[in-house]
Amino acid sequence: MVVFVVLIVVVAVSVLTLRPNRHAGDAPAWIVVAATNHLPELRREWGRAMAAELTAIPGRAGRWRFAVGVLRVALFPPVRRRSRVLAVAGIGLAAAVALEVLAVNTVPNIAVFAGALGPLLAAYATLLAARSAQPSWAAAYAVVVGLGALGVLAAIAAVVRVAASHPAATTDPTHVYSIVLAVILVGYLAVAFAPRRRLRTLWWVVGAAAGFGAVSIGFALTAPVGPMGVGPEPALPVASVAVVIAAVGVGLTTHDRAAAVRAGLLTVALTAPAHVATDLLALLRVHQFTLTDPYDIAAYPHSGFPDVASYLLSDAISGEIISGLVLRPVILGLVAMVAATAATARSRIAAVP
Amino acid sequence: VTRVRRPSPQTLAVLEALADEPDRWRYGYDLCTQLGLPAGSVYPILMRLADRGLLETSWAVERGPARHLYRLTEAGREYATAHAVPLKPTPAKRAARPRIAGA
Repeated sequence: MVVFVVLIVVVAVSVLTLRPNRHAGDAPAWIVVAATNHLPELRREWGRAMAAELTAIPGRAGRWRFAVGVLRVALFPPVRRRSRVLAVAGIGLAAAVALEVLAVNTVPNIAVFAGALGPLLAAYATLLAARSAQPSWAAAYAVVVGLGALGVLAAIAAVVRVAASHPAATTDPTHVYSIVLAVILVGYLAVAFAPRRRLRTLWWVVGAAAGFGAVSIGFALTAPVGPMGVGPEPALPVASVAVVIAAVGVGLTTHDRAAAVRAGLLTVALTAPAHVATDLLALLRVHQFTLTDPYDIAAYPHSGFPDVASYLLSDAISGEIISGLVLRPVILGLVAMVAATAATARSRIAAVP
Repeated sequence: VTRVRRPSPQTLAVLEALADEPDRWRYGYDLCTQLGLPAGSVYPILMRLADRGLLETSWAVERGPARHLYRLTEAGREYATAHAVPLKPTPAKRAARPRIAGA
């Protein structure tokens, strides 16, 4: 319940603070501006055309109808190269089937996860092919995409490694965790791949995320191992510092709060899967797992797990899905908003006549 | 062999509306109201027609923000005729049009 309340508050704050133009007018005007901002690059002029057209539409009902129509165009813009889209969809589907076959034959415990991940990735690749004519691969954007993909791959690799070494730890009778993990990871990938306009500001994100990655990996590989893993874990403070650096850096250079918040949120999106991967990687270094928590000591005998390691690793994976990929990013997102607000406060005060 | 797809009834309706006065520049919203079609249907059709070189676009500088205008190209008129959309005869004097920016 608390999670949903926090999510609703964050979404509401984001919508209120990040809307493209606060003076765009009524709700239909805001919807049209927001929708047309998300059109693919080659349809931007059409977006401007539809936004301009709204100014000539009288009456509230007509404006709402037009706004809904524009929203539909933004969600499903016409496909320009149908053959390319079909080719990507076909290749994606074949890759998804191959991934599933591979999972069933090598790590059957994650077959449901692979079965959800493959089609989702194929669908996302098809969507990308349908929305862009020629993807722009500016250096900063390419590095952001690379870091995002690396983080997601690392998280997948960590889960696969757990499944291979302790199959019972990844048993998921309801399949809910498997599907949720696949959906969330593809979501993070989509955030990394989303087109960017201010490419220079991306270097702040790249620096912050790469710094976080280096410190976390170094810690996960070298920190002394205890009975419950490695610790105390510095990843959350390091992630917070990375998010603050990105948000403040962009805020101070652009004096644009929305851009600073976006930079902070992108840093969160790039670091969250990597954070999960390093957490699991650190835990896998433990050779002799020991129960220390009174609750675990009482619950383990009735859990059905064959060994303590599987019990603790299963707990860690589900914890990482909920906490590492949802709750922690929400908290870091709030940190990004506060940092961006603080960094741009002076310029906003100066702008007041 | 190139497969020629028959345009949808909505596309034919848009073609017919544009072919009705082929020289006249039309606004997107005017087409929506004339045809009773939502913007979510009309604009994708206009985009596809423009992608195929059947529609020319322009920005009209009038009072207020510039608005986008549309009319069939020569190829668009031929396409409309080929798909049995009757073209009205072009008047001797070209239809008055709004001042065009970057036509």
